[in-house]
Amino acid sequence: MQRLFSDFRRPSGQRPGAIWWSFIAVATVVVFALPQVLDLAQLLDLSVVFVLALLALSMSFLWGYVGILSFGQTAFFGLGGYVYAVAAMNWGDTTLPFLLGILVPLAFAALLGVFMVYGKISDIYFSVMTLVITLILNKAMRATSGDQYVIGDVRLNGQNGIPGVPPLQVPWNPTVTLFIDHVYYLSAALIVLVYVGLRLLLTTSFGRVLVGIRENERRIELLGYDARRYKFAAFALSGGVAGLSGTMFAIWGNFVAPEMFGLGQAAEVIIWVIVGGKSTLIGPIVGTGIIQYLTSWLGTQGVGQVTLVLGVVLVVFVLLFKEGLVPTLGSLIARLFGGRRKQGEAE
Amino acid sequence: MTGASPKGILETRDLRKVFGGVHAVDGVDFVLKEGELRCLIGPNGAGKSTFFKLVTGQIQPSDGQIFFDGHEVSAHASHEIARLGVGIKNQKPDVFDGLSARENLWLAAQFAHDKAGARRQVEEVIERLQLGGFVHRLVGELAHGQRQWVEIGMVMAREPRLILLDEPSAGMGQEERVRTAELLKELNRTTTIVVVEHDMQFIKRIADIVTVFHRGKVLREAKVDVVLSDPEVRDVYLGRTEVA
Ligand SMILES: Nc1ncnc2c1ncn2[C@@H]1O[C@H](COP(=O)(O)OP(=O)(O)OP(=O)(O)O)[C@@H](O)[C@H]1O
Ligand SMILES: [Mg+2]
Repeated sequence: MQRLFSDFRRPSGQRPGAIWWSFIAVATVVVFALPQVLDLAQLLDLSVVFVLALLALSMSFLWGYVGILSFGQTAFFGLGGYVYAVAAMNWGDTTLPFLLGILVPLAFAALLGVFMVYGKISDIYFSVMTLVITLILNKAMRATSGDQYVIGDVRLNGQNGIPGVPPLQVPWNPTVTLFIDHVYYLSAALIVLVYVGLRLLLTTSFGRVLVGIRENERRIELLGYDARRYKFAAFALSGGVAGLSGTMFAIWGNFVAPEMFGLGQAAEVIIWVIVGGKSTLIGPIVGTGIIQYLTSWLGTQGVGQVTLVLGVVLVVFVLLFKEGLVPTLGSLIARLFGGRRKQGEAE
Repeated sequence: MTGASPKGILETRDLRKVFGGVHAVDGVDFVLKEGELRCLIGPNGAGKSTFFKLVTGQIQPSDGQIFFDGHEVSAHASHEIARLGVGIKNQKPDVFDGLSARENLWLAAQFAHDKAGARRQVEEVIERLQLGGFVHRLVGELAHGQRQWVEIGMVMAREPRLILLDEPSAGMGQEERVRTAELLKELNRTTTIVVVEHDMQFIKRIADIVTVFHRGKVLREAKVDVVLSDPEVRDVYLGRTEVA
């Protein structure tokens, strides 16, 4: 019984159980049925939660599974958005720009990975470096307001960002573009697919070694695995997922701006992940949703100090629910259902 | 590479490790022949664990050379040395606490085998070490002795050519110690082994040649009974661990 819930606490390399698959099935049905009852404004709000949850996933995958905190996942998020925007506006077509919005950040992460993973940089410097990189990109983008900063026909526009980013076209029929509800379906499909994909990745030999690195990197090395290769691959992959998030963000809002790289955005991702719980992949998705809705609710209540409130929420979570919301709930449910046995007991 | 070609399966030449001002390993020349079951003894702080860590690449030597199976491995990363066929059980349990014992063994076995082979290897180790009672439990929840067994199992599952065991019987009861000693003798039929131990009964049970470390240096190296009746060795141990 216990292990049925382990996926919602601290997943290991074991195959997810029946409860997890049922959860996926139900969640998918619900998510795809929601447009029947929600209006377009509500769909728009929910879409961006899914889009940003991809960014949270990219971080928690790296942090919760491999033990690397990449503070600056926004570097790849912003890069994905800008690559899509600039390429789509130049070429008119959006299919290739969409793919580049994933691949360019992935390649950029791989490049950084070569220096940072193979350069034997310690974990704490790694976190700081990623943050520095995203802040540099933020600063660089803000400095592009002059007329000379043009890529093809597109002005980068400095801190005003690039408006009018084209909506996604149907690849086989470019005259049809995705409308709000289509973007909703696409974001929903992507979050489900990426979540399931990353979860199942853990059951492969590659993923099981990643979990091993999280548990004890020295032991992984002593068994003969080159931990750096695995970290490098995981970092590149997470860069790709963050890039996908940024691309979808650009499509969702028809807009990109330097804030995508900014400190505020970077900090928000951490809050989503910590509140939801980094050890599970579902936690950060939930965390993103809660914080996003909390933020906009606070806005409508006329609370001026939204950042302050978010800060308090973060502190409360760090102190009260060390593992985050989802793992804490998971443990609670598991305890209600069965004796003293703990996670991962069976199999 | 300087000097003569390396001897034995493991050789160190003038191996040194300095931590701040502490000469933890201070010019060790050590030769191990293939097939040996060597015991390494010495008082606390003699440098035994540091020596093991140097040989497995967990720390880099300050000076000197290490050869394994004819290759110089002095500057190798620990995964490279592991791949050449060295397995180690560290002094402190060094396992995957958040994973089940079976998953621990699988991670060890799958490196050296294909999928089916790894699964078979895991079952074999479970059978051989009688881990069946707790393979499904998280290693972090097991008793100290059981975790040691899991770690020994992980080392075995990779089928290394050289096994280094740092105090394998620590935290075990008398009956478990006897089992461990028997297991080592059995493993020794196919594998070269070096064991660090403080328990003299245990050493007498398994040892042939014993190397004594003291203050980072090799103090003596001889047959077990010669070493244990050596006055200087007794002196070094006096007031620390009793030499029976
Ligand atoms: N990482 C380190 N940093 C600083 N000093 C160290 C470090 N590791 C070991 N030492 C020192 O080196 C010396 C040798 O330690 P080592 O652990 O190798 O001894 P040992 O023979 O294994 O002892 P024991 O029987 O207690 O396990 C000790 O003085 C110890 O304090
Ligand atoms: Mg020691």
